[in-house]
Amino acid sequence: MRDAVIVQSVRSPGGRYKRGALAQTRGDEIGIQVLKGLMKRVPQVKPEDVDDLICGCSFPEGEQGMNLGRVIALGAGLPITTSGMTVNRFCSSGLQAIADATAKVMAGWSDCIVAGGCETMSHIPMGGWIFRPHPEWGDLPNTYVSMGVTAENVAADYNISREDQDKMGVESNRRAHEAIQKGLWKDQIVPIEAWKYVKDKNGQWIKIKKTFDMDDGVRWPATLENMAKLKSPFKQGGSVTAANASQMTDGAAFTMIMSAEKAKELKLKPIAKLTHYAVAGNKPEEMGVGPRYAIPKVLKLAGLKLDDIDLFEINEAFASQAIYCCRELGIEDRYWKGEINPNGGAIAIGHPLGCTGAKLTCQLLDELKRRKLKRGIVSMCIGGGMGAAGIYEML
Amino acid sequence: MSYEIKKAAIIGAGVMGATIAAHLANAGIESVMLDIVPPFEPSEADLKKGLTKESKAWRNSFAINGLNGALKSKPASFYSKKNASMIAIGNLEDDLNLLKDVDFILEVVIENLKIKQELFAKLEKVIKPECIVATNTSGLPIREISEKMSAKNKERFLGVHFFNPPRYMKLVEVIPGETTKKEIVDYMTYFLENVVGKGVVICKDVPNFIANRIGVYDISNAVKTMLDKDLTIPELDAIIAKVLGRPGSAICGTIDLVGIDTGYHVMKNLVAAVPDDEMVKTFIPPEFMDKMVENKWLGNKTKGGFYKKTKDDKGKKVKLALDYHTMEYVPFEKPKYESVKEAGKTEGSFDDKLKALFYSEKDIAGEVAREYLCKNFIYSANRIPEICDTVYQIDNTMKWGYNHQKGPFETWDVVGVKESLEVMKKLKLKIPKKIIEMLKKGDSFYLKKEDGNYYYDFDKKDYVKMGDNPKIILLPELAAKNKVIKKNDGASLVDIGDGVACLEFRTKMNAIDGDIISMIEESCDIVEKDFTGLVVANHGTNFSVGANIFQVLMAVQNGEWDLLDKLIHDLQYANMKMKYLEKPVVTAPAGMALGGGCEVSMHGQRCQPCGETYMGLVEVGVGVIPAGGGCKELMVRCTEGLPDGTAEVLNMQPIYEKVLMNIGQAKVATSAMEAMELGYIRKTENISLNRDHQISDAKRLVLSMAMTHKKRKPDMIPVMGENLMGIAHAVLFNMKHGNYMSDYDEHVTMKLAWVLSGGMCPEGTFVTEDAILDREREAFLSLAGEQKTQDRIMHMLTRGKPLRN
Repeated sequence: MRDAVIVQSVRSPGGRYKRGALAQTRGDEIGIQVLKGLMKRVPQVKPEDVDDLICGCSFPEGEQGMNLGRVIALGAGLPITTSGMTVNRFCSSGLQAIADATAKVMAGWSDCIVAGGCETMSHIPMGGWIFRPHPEWGDLPNTYVSMGVTAENVAADYNISREDQDKMGVESNRRAHEAIQKGLWKDQIVPIEAWKYVKDKNGQWIKIKKTFDMDDGVRWPATLENMAKLKSPFKQGGSVTAANASQMTDGAAFTMIMSAEKAKELKLKPIAKLTHYAVAGNKPEEMGVGPRYAIPKVLKLAGLKLDDIDLFEINEAFASQAIYCCRELGIEDRYWKGEINPNGGAIAIGHPLGCTGAKLTCQLLDELKRRKLKRGIVSMCIGGGMGAAGIYEML
Repeated sequence: MSYEIKKAAIIGAGVMGATIAAHLANAGIESVMLDIVPPFEPSEADLKKGLTKESKAWRNSFAINGLNGALKSKPASFYSKKNASMIAIGNLEDDLNLLKDVDFILEVVIENLKIKQELFAKLEKVIKPECIVATNTSGLPIREISEKMSAKNKERFLGVHFFNPPRYMKLVEVIPGETTKKEIVDYMTYFLENVVGKGVVICKDVPNFIANRIGVYDISNAVKTMLDKDLTIPELDAIIAKVLGRPGSAICGTIDLVGIDTGYHVMKNLVAAVPDDEMVKTFIPPEFMDKMVENKWLGNKTKGGFYKKTKDDKGKKVKLALDYHTMEYVPFEKPKYESVKEAGKTEGSFDDKLKALFYSEKDIAGEVAREYLCKNFIYSANRIPEICDTVYQIDNTMKWGYNHQKGPFETWDVVGVKESLEVMKKLKLKIPKKIIEMLKKGDSFYLKKEDGNYYYDFDKKDYVKMGDNPKIILLPELAAKNKVIKKNDGASLVDIGDGVACLEFRTKMNAIDGDIISMIEESCDIVEKDFTGLVVANHGTNFSVGANIFQVLMAVQNGEWDLLDKLIHDLQYANMKMKYLEKPVVTAPAGMALGGGCEVSMHGQRCQPCGETYMGLVEVGVGVIPAGGGCKELMVRCTEGLPDGTAEVLNMQPIYEKVLMNIGQAKVATSAMEAMELGYIRKTENISLNRDHQISDAKRLVLSMAMTHKKRKPDMIPVMGENLMGIAHAVLFNMKHGNYMSDYDEHVTMKLAWVLSGGMCPEGTFVTEDAILDREREAFLSLAGEQKTQDRIMHMLTRGKPLRN
């Protein structure tokens, strides 16, 4: 099979749910602007070279319905000959899109594909606008369970203390704050011309546009004392709170994958490649344990050990499940060494569902490059009870 | 000139100012609320928040804080928090121009004559020439506050004194100045009674007006009696309490609520303000109160006053009471007086119980009650004509402003004026001459004659007929005039004039039983034949607290399922009969309208609620679901108004989730406005702010409807079918896992979802009302057969609160 290489990977900044800078910008518009930004960074690639656009999205409804992949491709000015599709595996959709694109290129079915994810949580609610659980199933299977409840289940069943969860909450924010202060993310981010509806001097509603170039969810200074005051919205007396769970966020991220030959032809320097990808299923009511099964599964595929992996991005959907997974895998100490989520995670800068896999890919590759390291894993838990993991190797 | 207040201004955003603005908003009046710019520098913390001396947020911070306080106040000041948007805020330096177009300005600033005078000088420059100007002072003379005003403005100036909390206290004292135009006083009275829903008492411009003169005497007198008789604080509060018509917090508990410092200062001020008062010495605060103020033991706000609530070593809550001899808090023990106990158990009305205690010789309580009340009586009589001219003004003031069940003269009538004189003589009290004079004409202050109610007028030395207020319809008075058309043990139908009949519930707490149900049906038949329309209303504290669950439990325990089925069926179809009557039917809920009471209210063709209406379908609390048409009617209310052709394709999930949660969590609206937000009352209805006017308002609505009335076409209800069951399962699953509901809660709520789903049909199907009523009945009966539901009913009957099982 051919080698499929990544030549560029970018993301939008994450905008806080409802109150953030992207809250009033349409989801497809965020995706379009990120794609345009990506194309600008690889001027060697002509629009017609892009064979397909694969977009991950967890709730492809409303403005992100109507086959978001095709909408974004056309909206960003790719020619009508470029096809487009939308894939959905909930929180791993963005990674799934990159994996699908990689496989397609490796198989020789395509030479150049842009893949990633896009999600506006401010506009499309979790569960979607039209939620219709099977009426004959009653309580079972628990596919429809709320994510917060699964996080409480993990915390309760595996004794993940409130304090440990809050500690990760503080650390995630601290790392993200530091990353922003140091300007670490400047290269990976495509600034977005964000929309906002405001009233003018005469009290008339108007639409204004303003450039938004850095994640706006970080809460700093964050302290354990303040976090300890919060109550769980999911369970009376529960331990999962707004401060130790991922933020709801709007954002998009795209990565360009092409055959090694094509990259050579266009004189593009390959950055990395996705070598292996695996998804594992687990109990829906404790969906957060996913990475604990997906990571060993993908390592087995690759014939590698945890020690062979230099950096991890393990999505902080909830601190409870992230801690559980690290603990079970025996890599909790590596979190505190800064080898897992080195620049903070979803607790600080958000988890835009279908975009997350693509966004974490972008962050991981940038950080591997900065640290001059070789191998990294992107992994996340998935609603409905799954985990996904992908191994990237720098070139 | 005619006046109309559409927009008001409140100057001073303290607790009183902000909560008055809130209640004006409840009444639909927009207002501007201004306070001073903070006279100090922003603190370090303020600066951190981005507040600077120039920023609007800083300059308006007093008004902002006032509004936030009103939003958070308990009990709630606003009918709905949404009303807060009707209050514009600003400060007295930058925003005086906002006052240009207001029709009414009420000053509620600190009680300082100079500050008030200067403020009005400032306001005079910006207000329009027809703006009514008022002060909410509770003690300063109106004459002095307006001293420096122009003659023109003085004509539009008066005192308008609200009581705390303004939403709930009925009294407003209106104090005209020497040159205030009569039309201003008349309009203000009209406005306060009709628009704001208050009870107005016109006062003379004397220190503390009526309420805080008689009221403070009442309290000082009680405290002095306590000292004279060497009673403890709990002992005083056990005697001068419910039996004498005092609120549950009695004397010392009430002072704790108001604040010892407030009471203390009003007493002190009175000593200076009324040096010639024959009882001036009573107003001098006792030494122990000096110490309390000194120690800052100021009542509930400082977590300790006459009483103190604390925790013992084991963390158990304990109540302490102050021993004013030692100035130490000692454990509270409920005093036991045989006389009080006996009086409470006396058969009959409040009057009989009060009389029993007044004449009791059993123990010291009777003696205390006699001395305290007689002094009150005499003091009140001596205040006429000093503070007002009539007995009813004082009586109304004490009822509306101090929550006394009866005013001093009404109470005097209860114990018997003639008999009381003997008591007074024994106590060596000086009986006012005017009372002796009155006894030559009659032996009570109030008198009922064929043609109306009379009061004794001290000036005219004769009985004078009380003015009839056509807006006040009193059902018992009509009953006394043989206006009852039909009655049974639970309800009656009363002719309220102009072709309108009123159905009045009369069971205990107006619980809905077989009698009420059959009277609803009979009333409909009678009205259909002989009347223009029907009002459903009563004077009870609560319109109806729900179905008679005792009756339900008895039927279940005796296995009388057919009887129970019939009872529910009868309520459903009595309600349906009102809804589809050929004549207009208006329900007028006030106070609690829960369960069956809510269902009856919802089945009027129109509704004329009182502002203070607490409505909800609370059946799940006793393990059943609303089955008198409540589910069905809430479904109608929440889906009506959708344009044709939309319900079939609309995602009704949020609508039905709302219905499911309203009923499934037994949500009770805390005002008529909130009932509109929850869907129990249509948003197009009008609210009666003044409960005294409510029946008349409802009657007028019936009459206006009658002009063009047509029988309503049967409603068809769009439902979600089986899909709603899937949604309910998922929502409830999460709630159960979050410990927000028990397994049985889930079971009951799933039954509810089954009713609301409308049947095994596709989403967007329209079903008949009968189809939902059948499901209500079926679900009710099946739940009633379950042990856990019976346990819930039993628990409610014995403990008075819901059981979570």
